[in-house]
Amino acid sequence: MAVFELQPPLTAEERLHKRKLIFRDLISLSGLFAITVVLAVLTWFLFNSFARHRQELAQRWLARGQAAMADGHPEQAVEAFRSALEYDPAQRQTEIKLAMALEAADRVVEATSYFNTLLETEPGNGIINLELARLSARQANKSKAIEYYQRALDGTWQGDGYERRRAVRLELARYLLDQKDYPRARTQLLIAAGNAPDDPAIKMQIAGMMEEAQDPENALAIYRAVARQKPSPVQSFQGAGRVAYSLGRFALAREYLEQAVNHPDFLSEPDSVRTPVRQMLADTIDLLALYPESNLEIRERADRILHVARIAQERLQACSASKATPVASLADLAAQWQENRATLTPLTLARDPQLEQTIMNLIFDTEKQTAQACGAPTGDDALLLKIAQSSRSVEEK
Amino acid sequence: MNADTAVDFKKEAAAPHQHDLDKIAPSRDERLFLVLSIFIGVLSGLLVVCFRVAIEWIRILTLGSAPHPGQYRLLLAPTLAGLVVAALVQWFFPAARGSGVNQTKAALYIYNGYISFRTVIGKFITAAIAIGSGHSLGPEDPSLQIGAGVASMVARRLRLSRQRLRLFAPIGAAAGLAAAFNAPISAILFVIEEVIGRWSAAVLGSIVLSAISSVVVARWFWGSEAIFRIPQVTLRDPRELTAYAVLGVAGGISALVFSKALGYLRPRLRSLARWTHFFQPALAGLLVGAIGFFGFPQVMGPGYGVMDQAMHGQFAWQLLVALALFKILATTLSFSSGTPGGMFAPTLFIGAMLGAAVGSFEKHYFPHLTGTIGAYALVGMGVLFAGFLRAPLTSVFMVLEVSGNYSIVLPVILANTIAYLLSRSLQPVPIFEVFTRQDGLELPSMEEQREEHELHIEDALRPVHVPILGGSTPIEAVSATLSSANAPALLVQLWDGSWYAMSKDEVAGAAVTLTGDTPIERALKPDRAPMLFPDLPLDNTLHYFPRWPLLPILNRANKSKLEGVVTLEDVLKRYQDL
Repeated sequence: MAVFELQPPLTAEERLHKRKLIFRDLISLSGLFAITVVLAVLTWFLFNSFARHRQELAQRWLARGQAAMADGHPEQAVEAFRSALEYDPAQRQTEIKLAMALEAADRVVEATSYFNTLLETEPGNGIINLELARLSARQANKSKAIEYYQRALDGTWQGDGYERRRAVRLELARYLLDQKDYPRARTQLLIAAGNAPDDPAIKMQIAGMMEEAQDPENALAIYRAVARQKPSPVQSFQGAGRVAYSLGRFALAREYLEQAVNHPDFLSEPDSVRTPVRQMLADTIDLLALYPESNLEIRERADRILHVARIAQERLQACSASKATPVASLADLAAQWQENRATLTPLTLARDPQLEQTIMNLIFDTEKQTAQACGAPTGDDALLLKIAQSSRSVEEK
Repeated sequence: MNADTAVDFKKEAAAPHQHDLDKIAPSRDERLFLVLSIFIGVLSGLLVVCFRVAIEWIRILTLGSAPHPGQYRLLLAPTLAGLVVAALVQWFFPAARGSGVNQTKAALYIYNGYISFRTVIGKFITAAIAIGSGHSLGPEDPSLQIGAGVASMVARRLRLSRQRLRLFAPIGAAAGLAAAFNAPISAILFVIEEVIGRWSAAVLGSIVLSAISSVVVARWFWGSEAIFRIPQVTLRDPRELTAYAVLGVAGGISALVFSKALGYLRPRLRSLARWTHFFQPALAGLLVGAIGFFGFPQVMGPGYGVMDQAMHGQFAWQLLVALALFKILATTLSFSSGTPGGMFAPTLFIGAMLGAAVGSFEKHYFPHLTGTIGAYALVGMGVLFAGFLRAPLTSVFMVLEVSGNYSIVLPVILANTIAYLLSRSLQPVPIFEVFTRQDGLELPSMEEQREEHELHIEDALRPVHVPILGGSTPIEAVSATLSSANAPALLVQLWDGSWYAMSKDEVAGAAVTLTGDTPIERALKPDRAPMLFPDLPLDNTLHYFPRWPLLPILNRANKSKLEGVVTLEDVLKRYQDL
């Protein structure tokens, strides 16, 4: 092997050369090392100064972006957030702000693309899913929107996740209402109501949306619950009265509408709110004045029945007279009234509760049939028609 | 060769002769080689970090911290920088012109690995000014040249042999590129594919050492994701391969357009009067600035931030396509004008935009089919690399290395292969070779070198057509056999399994001097035919022919069995047939 091969001995001059060579190499390597150290130090200072400046720029542009968004200039915000990200790239919050700015600037395709990319790295992020839901909603993609809303509800949220999820759920419900998808909207609202804190404003919001979702029963329950609180907002009485009225629970409606009108804050409500409430209350009072309530004296009830029976018969006669050709249903009603003519006395009615009910049913049928044949009634007939449409719940509380 | 080169060679002449060194310190070069590789890596890494910081500082100072359309500085900065850079290149740093890859190759193949200190400094300053002020060029190729220059200076300082000095250029080049691109494997492969041209065990270890050292230094400053953040990349659905194939076609066509544009404009600008060379970079800067001023400032500079944004899906596909097209135009202008700066970053930029465009398009219209936009952008980078720079191996490993995910190897290979083949069939000469020819240099074609077919003995092998006799055969019988066979020679197999190829004249001589019953083995000279096998390089046979009339080719498993024979005529004919 080469290691054990005998080398010819070096001469004295060659040994001297070798020592010089080793010395020179050592000097050269030391010099190289020194240059490396000096260059490393210089690079370190240069780089740190540069890194600090980048951080400053990132902060500056982030602040500008936020200000631009606040001032309603999303295009400027897009550029500012992009610049902020260029100097400090891995900032998720800035990325989300940029995507939101793109969305606000109506750059929907870019915003969607960006949010989708953000979602790839963080599929469970609540706010990204929420923004994608909004974008899908804007693009009229209902199934995707609902899917992203649902993912947002199931996703993670920074800060108060409980509150953010409720807000998302209400937003989803609002979207479903706008889409006239009432059954799904009701489901979301019921969940939201079940999880809602004891905050009248939130409950009022949910109750209002339930009304829109054609769920007056649950809306009424929430309004009533809020109205029971002290102090309770005037809107809760208005809402409870309004919904009770729409449900035909006129006795209850009158109760709440009176409380609303007597509430100290009622006068500070706008005219557009006060006028219909007052009108509704007046209607309710008139309506209940016509209705033979169960708590009235027998005689008084009989008198009321006879009074409304006369109104109904007059309506039938007027309606029949307005028709050139006889209408079969109206003729049938006239025949029924003719049959019961003999019984329409206070005494017979007072004696026979069954007859009371029969006459009331005839009155309701008359109002309904004449409304169909001759159009919407006015005055007492209109009130009687309302009673006819919810005859079983007028007194319900 | 410039003045610097001449001065340095004079110094070299004063150094001790190599044969003296071989005697007094025979293993000195070898030992220093590895140590210096690390030093070169560290120094290159530090210089490249400084280079990139300088570019960024200049960018902020000249273009502002957030360039946007309508800013007059977008027009002014690259124009003025063009004037300054042109003056520097024309008066002080003529070797700093161009990207740096071809200059490094020229240093390796023409100037014995020599790159002057002035070139390194010039490249650093002029490229930093040009790229920082918005010229559409990248820092990787200059980094490669800076690294090679550092290596050259270090090797000269240590007075290494000329042979070693030549080897140091690719070592430094790999270090510079690795630090700039933060991807050591890709840098090593690129240097092997584009600078050295073939695998060489002699330098591979040192290249790896220097590349790793420089990347360690670069990562110490920049972190592991120095250039852009790599998003999640996956292949979700095999049907996505169709989209990747489309990307390959788009990349191949874009590479062709880019190459043709450069091939057309660069020689025309170079052939203009010399005084125009002082203004060409400024004019190119003005036009590039106009692209930025009127709507696309993203194309100015290397565009890493834009690549990052594209990778993370921040742009619509229409904008991405526009950016790719304007980048081709801007880079063609900047590079053709002779402004120092590299082609790497623009190539990656165009690829990333095309990839992200394909990904975004698919995502928009086929949302259930596509993977991440980032994956498409990454593959797009590789596609342009394969199609434009024509470094297919590097292009595949680059994507795998930067993504750190082998699940996209199939899309990468598919798209890159399509782009490479398309580009190659439509533009037979690779772009670096085009530049070389335009510059009047004759450097070896790396693509041809890579594909050179080395001939082996089996390629010239023919069946045994001469008599084979045992060593104990009498000379009389041997003569008779040879006469009846009418062969120019015969093969003798000896008792120990060795072979001897005996010419007709040799047999005749033995028949005259010895009796007819003497065994032929007693007439043989002491040497034996060489042991050659079919898989050995064909040129291994050449130096045996003056001695032997033909050569027996043995079976590696059984050396007494012949695979065939080769003659000098067979070998020469095989080379002539190439």
